[in-house]
Amino acid sequence: MIPVPRGRGGWGSSANGALRFVALMLVCAAFAASGCSSSVKKTPGLGAGTGGGAGLGESSITGNKGSLAQFQKGQLGGGEGGPLSDIHFAFNQYTIEPQDDSVLKSNAQWLEAHPNTHVQVEGHCDERGSEEYNIALGAKRAQAAKDYLVTLGITPSRISTISYGKELPLCTEQTEECWSRNRRDHFVVTQ
Amino acid sequence: MPVFTEILTATPDGRVIMRRSFLLFPLAALLMLLATPFAARAQIKMEIIGPGSRLSAIAVSPLKNLGGDDQHGVSRQFDSILSRDLELSGYFRLISPKAFIEDAQASGYDLGQFNFADWRSINADFLVKGAVKVDGTQVQVTALLFDVAQQRRMMGKSFTGQLSEVPKMARRFADALLQAATGVQGPFDSRLAFVSTRGGRFKEIYLQSIDGRGLFRLTDNPTINLFPAFDRKGEVLYLSYKTMMPALYLANPAERREVRIESKRGKMVGGAISADGQLIAAAIEHNGATNLFLLDRDGHELRELTDTGGINVNPAFSSDGRMLAFTSDRSGTPQIYLMTVGGGVPRRVTYKGNYNTTPSISPDGKYIAYESRDGGHFDIWIVGTDGSDPINLTNGVGSNQYPAWSPDGRYIAFSSTRSGRSHIYLLQVATEKVISALTEGNGNDSCPAWSWWLGE
Repeated sequence: MIPVPRGRGGWGSSANGALRFVALMLVCAAFAASGCSSSVKKTPGLGAGTGGGAGLGESSITGNKGSLAQFQKGQLGGGEGGPLSDIHFAFNQYTIEPQDDSVLKSNAQWLEAHPNTHVQVEGHCDERGSEEYNIALGAKRAQAAKDYLVTLGITPSRISTISYGKELPLCTEQTEECWSRNRRDHFVVTQ
Repeated sequence: MPVFTEILTATPDGRVIMRRSFLLFPLAALLMLLATPFAARAQIKMEIIGPGSRLSAIAVSPLKNLGGDDQHGVSRQFDSILSRDLELSGYFRLISPKAFIEDAQASGYDLGQFNFADWRSINADFLVKGAVKVDGTQVQVTALLFDVAQQRRMMGKSFTGQLSEVPKMARRFADALLQAATGVQGPFDSRLAFVSTRGGRFKEIYLQSIDGRGLFRLTDNPTINLFPAFDRKGEVLYLSYKTMMPALYLANPAERREVRIESKRGKMVGGAISADGQLIAAAIEHNGATNLFLLDRDGHELRELTDTGGINVNPAFSSDGRMLAFTSDRSGTPQIYLMTVGGGVPRRVTYKGNYNTTPSISPDGKYIAYESRDGGHFDIWIVGTDGSDPINLTNGVGSNQYPAWSPDGRYIAFSSTRSGRSHIYLLQVATEKVISALTEGNGNDSCPAWSWWLGE
C-alpha cells in the first residue's frame, strides 16, 4: 500500500490549501471594486526562495471567472459562461473555422460596446495529445483568436492570452462530441 | 548522515557477460551467449534474451540479530525493501522464506559459518545473508552476497546510520548486488517524481522511492503542476500555474525552498534541467509561437535555441549536458529532433508515425525514448539517436506516455492506462518487459521523472 500523505512531508499544509483558497476568494470578493480580482496575490509559503522566487504552498487569484478559477470551485463541468462565446477547433489544429467567423464578430461587437473591458483568451485542447505539446497548441489557438479580434478592430492591449492545454476539460467522455467541446477558445472578461 | 563502508568489493570473476553496448539487441546477446563458454556458476545471463526466460533464484535470509533487533523489525524492513528492489530489477525470482531450511538466528552469516547445502537444496542460485546490531537509534547492518553453486562470497557491505536510514541501506545494497551480479550498478538508490491527482482534483507533484515508499508531496496549490525533472543534486524543476500564470520553479526538496523562473520572452510552457543543475532549457511561448531558450539556473537567458513560428517543446538534456532532444512541428507534424546545446541546426530523429513527442535521452546518449500516437493511444518507443531502428516497447497495451530513463539506463518509467487509471510503470528495456506498477491508488499518475543516484 502506498499511503496518501495528509499534510505530512509536503510544504505548506494540504488541509490549509483549500481554506487558504476560500479565504482568498472572500478577500477578493470584498475588494473586488478596488481591482483585487485582477491582481496577483501571494500568500506566504514556507522558505520563500531567493531571486524573487515564490514560496511553496502559495496560490493566487486573477479573477473568479476564468476556467482555472471555475475548476478550483469544481464548477467547470457546467460550462464557463460569460458574455462572450467559445469557438472550437479541429484535432491538432489552430486555424479559425469558417463557422466561428460570426462568433468572433459578435464577441468583437460586445468588446466594442464595452470599451473599458479587457479580455483574456484561453486556449484549450482535448485529452488526446501529450501534455506539453498541448499547452503550446492551446497558445496557438488563443493567439489565433486574438489576431482575428485585432483584425476586427479591437486594440491588442485589451486582449491577453493563456493556454491550459488539456488540463481543464469541460467533459471527460471518450467521444468526439466531448473532445470537440474541449478543443476551444474561451473568452474571459477580466475587467 | 549515515556512514556507508564498503568492506568487500565484488570479485571480478563474479561478473557476467552482459554489457550495456548490446543491451538493446536481444539477438546479439543470444549470439554472444552461445559463443561464450561459461562455467556452471550463478550468473545472470538468460533473462536478457527475452520474456519468459529463466530468472535467477535468490534467497534473502533474515539478518542475524547481534543485539537490539529482538523483534527483527530492522531485519524485516531491510529484507522487504531489498526483495522488492530485486523483484523490480527483472533479473531475480525471490525464493519464499517459507521454503528456508536454515534458522538465520541460530547459524552464522559469513563463509564457513553456515551450510550451503541448506540453500542448494531449495535451488537458490544466489543467497543474501547478514547481521544487524541496534543501539538506541544507531543501527549497523552487514550484508553479504553468496554464489551458492560455487560456495563463494561475491560482495559485501557494511552500513552504519540511523534507524530511519535502513531503507536507504537496503537500496544501496540492492544496487551493489546488481553491480556484482550483472556488472552494472542497480538504479534503486534514487527517486521517482510524478504528477498525481491522488490528493483531489488538482495535479500535484509527488516524490517517492522506486520501491514505493517515502511518499513526499512537493507541491500544494489548487492549480496545475506538471513536468517534474531532476538534476544530480535532487533539485526538481517543474511547471506550475500556482500564481494563475504558468512559470517554472526550481525546488530543493531537502531544504524546502524554491525559486521561480520567469522570462520576459513570454509564458513558460515547460522546461528541462541539465544533470549538473547549471542549465535550464525552457519552452517559452510568445505571440503563439513556442521556442526553446537556454537559461542559467537563475533564469538569465544565455541563448536562443530554436526560432520558428510553430511549436518547439519537451526539451530533454543528454546526461553530459551537451545535447538536447525536443519535439517540433516544423515538418508539419510533431516529431523528435536533436541538437547540440551550443547551437547548430537541429537534426530530425523520428520519421515513423505522425505524432511523436516527449523525448528522453538514455544516460549513455545512444537512444531516445519517446511517445508515439497511433489511433487513439500512445506507445513508448526507443530509437537510436542517429534515427536508426525504432522499436515499440509497449505494443498498444493501454495508452503509454512520458518515458523517463533510470540512471543506469536499463529501465524506463512511464505512465500507462493499462489497468484503468493512469499509473507509473517500470519497463526493462532489454527484455521489453513491463515488470510492475510503481504507483497505485485512486488518483491518476503521470509525467514521471527518475532521479540520478542519490549517493550518500
